[in-house]
Amino acid sequence: MVKRSLAELALMKALSTGGDFAELFFEDRVNNTVVLRGGKVEDINSGRQHGAGVRLFKGLRSVYAYTNDFEEAGLLECASRAASALEYAPQIREITLTGSIAANIHPIRRLPGDVKNAWRTERLRSGHAAMSAVSAEIKQTTLRYADSDQRVTIANSDGLFVSDRRVYSRVACSAVASNGTESQTGFNGPGAMRGAEFADNLDIDGISRDAAETAVKMLHARVCPAGQMPVIIDKAFGGVVFHEACGHSLEASFIGRELSEFCGKLGQRIATDKVTAIDDGTIPGEWGSLNIDDEGTPTTRLTLIENGILKNYMVDKFNARRINMPITGSGRREGYMYAPTSRMRNTFIAPGEDDPDEIISSMDDGLYAKKMGGGSVNPTTGEFNFAVDEGYLVRGGKIAEPVRGASLIGRGSEILMKIDRVGREMAMGQGMCGSFSGSVPTNVGQPMIRISSMTVGGR
Amino acid sequence: MAREHNGPNDKLDDFIRALLERAKASGIERAEAYSSRGESFKSLVENGEIYEYEVHSSGGLALRGLVGGKMGIAYTEAFDEEAIGMLIERVLESAALIEDPDEQFLFEGSPSYERVDTLASTPGGGSEAEKIEYSCDLERRALSMHPLVKKLGHTTGVESERSEVRIVGTNGLNLYHAADTLVAIISVVAKRDDIARDATCFRIGRELADIPTDEMVREAIDTAVFQLDARPCESGTYDIIFNCDAMSALLGTFSGVFSAENTQKDLSMLKGKVGEEIASAVVTLADDPLLPRGVSTRPFDDEGVAARRKNVIENGRLTTLLHNLKTAKKDGVESTGNAAKAGYASPVRVAPSNFYFVPGDDTLDALMERMGDGLTLTELAGLHSGADAVSGDFSLPAKGYRVRGGKKAEAVDQITVAGNFYTLLKQIKAFANDLVFPTGSTGSPSVWAGRLSIAGK
Repeated sequence: MVKRSLAELALMKALSTGGDFAELFFEDRVNNTVVLRGGKVEDINSGRQHGAGVRLFKGLRSVYAYTNDFEEAGLLECASRAASALEYAPQIREITLTGSIAANIHPIRRLPGDVKNAWRTERLRSGHAAMSAVSAEIKQTTLRYADSDQRVTIANSDGLFVSDRRVYSRVACSAVASNGTESQTGFNGPGAMRGAEFADNLDIDGISRDAAETAVKMLHARVCPAGQMPVIIDKAFGGVVFHEACGHSLEASFIGRELSEFCGKLGQRIATDKVTAIDDGTIPGEWGSLNIDDEGTPTTRLTLIENGILKNYMVDKFNARRINMPITGSGRREGYMYAPTSRMRNTFIAPGEDDPDEIISSMDDGLYAKKMGGGSVNPTTGEFNFAVDEGYLVRGGKIAEPVRGASLIGRGSEILMKIDRVGREMAMGQGMCGSFSGSVPTNVGQPMIRISSMTVGGR
Repeated sequence: MAREHNGPNDKLDDFIRALLERAKASGIERAEAYSSRGESFKSLVENGEIYEYEVHSSGGLALRGLVGGKMGIAYTEAFDEEAIGMLIERVLESAALIEDPDEQFLFEGSPSYERVDTLASTPGGGSEAEKIEYSCDLERRALSMHPLVKKLGHTTGVESERSEVRIVGTNGLNLYHAADTLVAIISVVAKRDDIARDATCFRIGRELADIPTDEMVREAIDTAVFQLDARPCESGTYDIIFNCDAMSALLGTFSGVFSAENTQKDLSMLKGKVGEEIASAVVTLADDPLLPRGVSTRPFDDEGVAARRKNVIENGRLTTLLHNLKTAKKDGVESTGNAAKAGYASPVRVAPSNFYFVPGDDTLDALMERMGDGLTLTELAGLHSGADAVSGDFSLPAKGYRVRGGKKAEAVDQITVAGNFYTLLKQIKAFANDLVFPTGSTGSPSVWAGRLSIAGK
């Protein structure tokens, strides 16, 4: 993508005003999206993102500049723009880059460029048929097939010069059920760090039917009552609870500036002893996996919490300077338009020992959140919220009628100490996580868990 | 703004000219290039130093092309020979597969365009040195005003951007528009013993001189300190006022329901409701792309249609939906000039410009006086997940304060407010006179919204 000699020149230019570390990030990415709405191909949009970022550190100062232009003049101008933020004598006088290609632990069988959009649309058509067959109340269907092929080269003043290729595929289906006066939606959106083989092996009919069934069930559901109650959150995308309630607050971007409620808590109990939580970028082919992060560091498997004790934070290069801890291969960014920072990869609560039937039967009255929607958190106060896409009331230890419109709120540090059951079977779900460095693919995951008491928003 | 306006980028002009010529020669009947470019600056401050400094100069271009009545689209951020070939090949491929039965348009231009004033006196709204000094000054002010506020929150500083849009078509369309935007942001943490509460405030303008700095800093500090004593209130049904910030956020979340694209796709409950009462008589909702100093102020929309002001709701009655050329044709009306791309690469959709509820006469205090007992909500969170744009249902975490005897009383947090946007429109009792556009182009005054359900203790 870029010659080593030019990268060396650009790094030296960036460091000409006294920076103590410089990094280049080159990205060339082809995206493709096909949208089928109501069974008809509505949008096909594809294109190429192409740009380079120059990052510079001087102590605890960070400078970032980016451009679309990879040619020598454009890149060097971008490097000088970054350098212009500092006014010191140069410290580093020589850089020798050593080239490498990141070891690939996520092999791709069929590249997105090797299949035609006609093939993608046929895959989606079958999902539309499956959704429509669920009920006459399904009034709208949308299926989206999105893939991308991202090539990156990362070089830095420590001599790193590494290239990687990340291929992502995702199929998302959403169904709207309506009775004329009210509408409800259902959604599924599996994805992977894989090529077209992902959609080949995916049960598109199954996930489509399931989304349509949720929409119909919720159309006929009563509105969730509000109040304090015990809550069961089912496996897979339910892991968004941990992601919001705790995960963001363990990112060094918040820890490093003492803006997290988990600052200074390493080695201390922050959760019940049933809770072990992992952030793992190494799982082959998973949506949040990587070979190397966006700073060129090989990805890792990191234990965040072990039996309730806080063990690790997720650490990027810049924030490593603030908290004086080793980096964890967690430096991520949406693309060249963002400087990287510490982000989650595949983040999940590890399987426990509780039996799902017992978890429900011993609860008495409460809420069973079968499918979770998205959420958000304020890491400084720990306040989080998320939406329940498909919920049921539990009465006398038995799952009762479906309810809609529920949201769950609380504080991360409090909810972790209220997890009183962790089931045996872990599963993951896919999401796009947005933060300082843009939107990146992350997996959330967990077994079924139970929280002894939570604020449930409803009517 | 003249139709034949030349922007300052010769290299881009050459690329567009070559691209459109090749498109015609490749069997694309009509084509249009849409390019956007930006020059931006950001400085974030902590401990008297700019810890994050960011600049960019970048952009992209999308090609739309009509082949046999179908619209193909593709985009690029590389501007070389290879990119021209890729764009044309992909436009042809997508046009061949698209099944959208609606008539597609590439616009030839409106007879005239309004002049709008969207540029700062200096590009970027001030020099870098001025913006860096301003960022440092924000921190100094914020940390010297209150004994419990001794720390900044996640983001304090200045961001600015000059953005340029150019639309050039094979049918003679040639439009150019540039705008400056500057955002000042302050985020503080109030701390007492083990309790920390943060608050973030920002103001948007064109240049530093537009920013009411004292008011912004004071608001952030007051909010954070006030929230230190916040507790959940009892669950139940309360009379609710959404203040101007909260109501703007709610309107922004549900603005899609006014899009004809969504009604035509059965994704909005306003289908077939034009001419009907959909809100209480005090509600007038305006879309004004010509609003002086608005963030979305522009002479033309993303299809090149001349911008104009209109009321979407007038005294409770839905007067029009928002349209682009395609949705207008389908509904048998004129485009309202609301064609919008979410970014240069996105397909043309429909979106509001400067979109706001028209204010009433009362102050917020007078509105609380009239309400007597209830809650004023000042902040809503989780809008991307806790609100369903199709059904109108929302269940959102909120902060604010109790109103007792018509006066502001104790701080409230860790509650959720639940309701339905369509129902809410019908039960609005009054708007205050404090219209703001807190996050950009969507605005509202504070509103007494009637009774809603609150989950708390």
